[in-house]
Amino acid sequence: MTTEFVDVDVRPILRAGGEPFSVIMEAVEGLAPGQGVRLFATFKPIPLFGVMGSRGFSHEAVELDDGEWEVLFRPTGAGFAPPPTHPDRVDAVAWPAPSIDLDNRDLDPPEPMARILEATERLLPGEVLSALLLREPRFLFPELTRRGHQWRGDFDAKRTTYRILVRVSPSKAVQG
Amino acid sequence: MTGAALFRWTMSYFAAALIALLAAEAMMVAGLGFPAEPLRSPSSLVLVHLITIGWLSLTMCGALCQFIPVLTERPLHSDRLALPALALLVTGLIALVLGFLRLDGRVASELPFLSLAALLLGIGFTLVIWNLACTLWYARPLALPARFAGLGLAGVAVTAAFGTIFALVLEQTISGTFFVRIHAGALPIHIIAGLGGWLTITTAGVSYRLLAMFMLAPDIDEASGRTTLRLAAIAFGVVVGGGLAAVLAEVSLAVVLGAALIMAIAALACYGRDVLQLFQTRRRRMLELNSRMAVVALVNLALTAVLCIVLAAIGRVSEHVGAVVFLAAFGWLSGMMLAQMHKIVAFLTWLEVYGPVLGKTATPRVQDLVAERAATRWFMLFFVAVWAATGALLAGSVPAFQIAAFAMAAATAGIVGQMIKIRRLSHVPQARRLPGNAVQPTLLFTAIKVT
Repeated sequence: MTTEFVDVDVRPILRAGGEPFSVIMEAVEGLAPGQGVRLFATFKPIPLFGVMGSRGFSHEAVELDDGEWEVLFRPTGAGFAPPPTHPDRVDAVAWPAPSIDLDNRDLDPPEPMARILEATERLLPGEVLSALLLREPRFLFPELTRRGHQWRGDFDAKRTTYRILVRVSPSKAVQG
Repeated sequence: MTGAALFRWTMSYFAAALIALLAAEAMMVAGLGFPAEPLRSPSSLVLVHLITIGWLSLTMCGALCQFIPVLTERPLHSDRLALPALALLVTGLIALVLGFLRLDGRVASELPFLSLAALLLGIGFTLVIWNLACTLWYARPLALPARFAGLGLAGVAVTAAFGTIFALVLEQTISGTFFVRIHAGALPIHIIAGLGGWLTITTAGVSYRLLAMFMLAPDIDEASGRTTLRLAAIAFGVVVGGGLAAVLAEVSLAVVLGAALIMAIAALACYGRDVLQLFQTRRRRMLELNSRMAVVALVNLALTAVLCIVLAAIGRVSEHVGAVVFLAAFGWLSGMMLAQMHKIVAFLTWLEVYGPVLGKTATPRVQDLVAERAATRWFMLFFVAVWAATGALLAGSVPAFQIAAFAMAAATAGIVGQMIKIRRLSHVPQARRLPGNAVQPTLLFTAIKVT
């Protein structure tokens, strides 16, 4: 059986510094049974593979010119995977679109970390923020863990921008 | 992906290192050791090792225990080894100093201090190397700065091994032909492996990441940095492998050192190109104190190379080797380490105190912990004093050197004072100092482990 693909091109969103996660998820929600997604992105969207995998899609990524990527997500027929157990993956499919988008690329360290933590305090439990950074925020991770927040992040293809999504702890109120 | 925790003992290593630096500067002011006394005199050996083991190596060890986990995304192999290693290195250094002083009768004791020092320093460095090397090993494949640090660890291993042999032969604890030949001829290898292989290569590697991070520059192109690393590794290999062969064959080291110098100059040129790229591609136009002072230190590294080449061309290296080593040790290594230490202390203190309350309440910025203008004045005094002292050495004027050394000691004390103020949060207005649940940090270690 050949899979019919719905094209989703998020390159314009990424180039504008936006967050395409919600657009992709909307497209996935709108698929008919048996349909797949052909995604075009400016970087290899590794974090998405896990999310789509848990939704029952296999992936096949092909690098295009200029470091851009085409990824075919095919339904595996397995339907939804059993609930994942890794703490970082809990509720992975249910991450809402970011409520706050930060571009912290021009800030001196450790200001990017301070801005992200400050923003997480403004969010409601379960809400997500997205931030663009110049490098991986190694000192931020322990603090996010300590506060019970979840995160995922990766560099773009050229390794010049790191994008992190932080989901505020559902039990933020008791974190103090 | 666990991120990086704060290393508990960085401040303890830094404090011990700064005490050694101030002690060494006090010796220079008082006219103990080089240049007032011959380079190979016991007092000069005390002075040199206070600087190289006490100041430079302890600083580097403390910094790497914090930095390598950040670079590799892995926790330090062992948290328990770091403090015993510091205790062994400090007591080993004290034994070494006493051992040297016993050589010319200033310490009257029959205790075999040098052998004891060899044992304590040998175990101390082994613990540090083991801990850091294991962290690196399990984190492969390594980023470029981590690979420089790996080569640097080979440098300290070689330096410590030669040092151990020298100490044991000097005290006649060992007396085989192999060891006696090494003692007789391998001093240049010991010095170059220490200042070049260990301290310069590691400092260069660390600088790649610190400069990129604080100037908002993209990391150095992997291929370009790899060339620099390979050239440095070849220069190091030639000095150690070729040098050892020459020493054991009892032939002159001149050819080996000449070849290594050419490779080292090529490596330095590549490093200069890499650093220039970092400065050119930075997004931050206004540089902070640590980056500005790093520029001065890098210029001093270039000056050291030029001085080396000029002296080699006119055949007067051996006459002025003291001036070359002094400029490398103080203008380049000490300048770079003091500048980065000032920033690291502020950064880690800020993270320790304000990290847990970030976002929950208004917190000071890192720069609020620092009095940059006052610190800049002390740094400039330090560098001017180093240049004056180097000039005095080249001119052969001991009194002028002592005056310059006094200025260096005063500048160092000023910089240390600034770092103590950072640790005490003295520059932050009282009302904003400890918001929310923030806790005053202790001076000498990190009390809260942020994990």
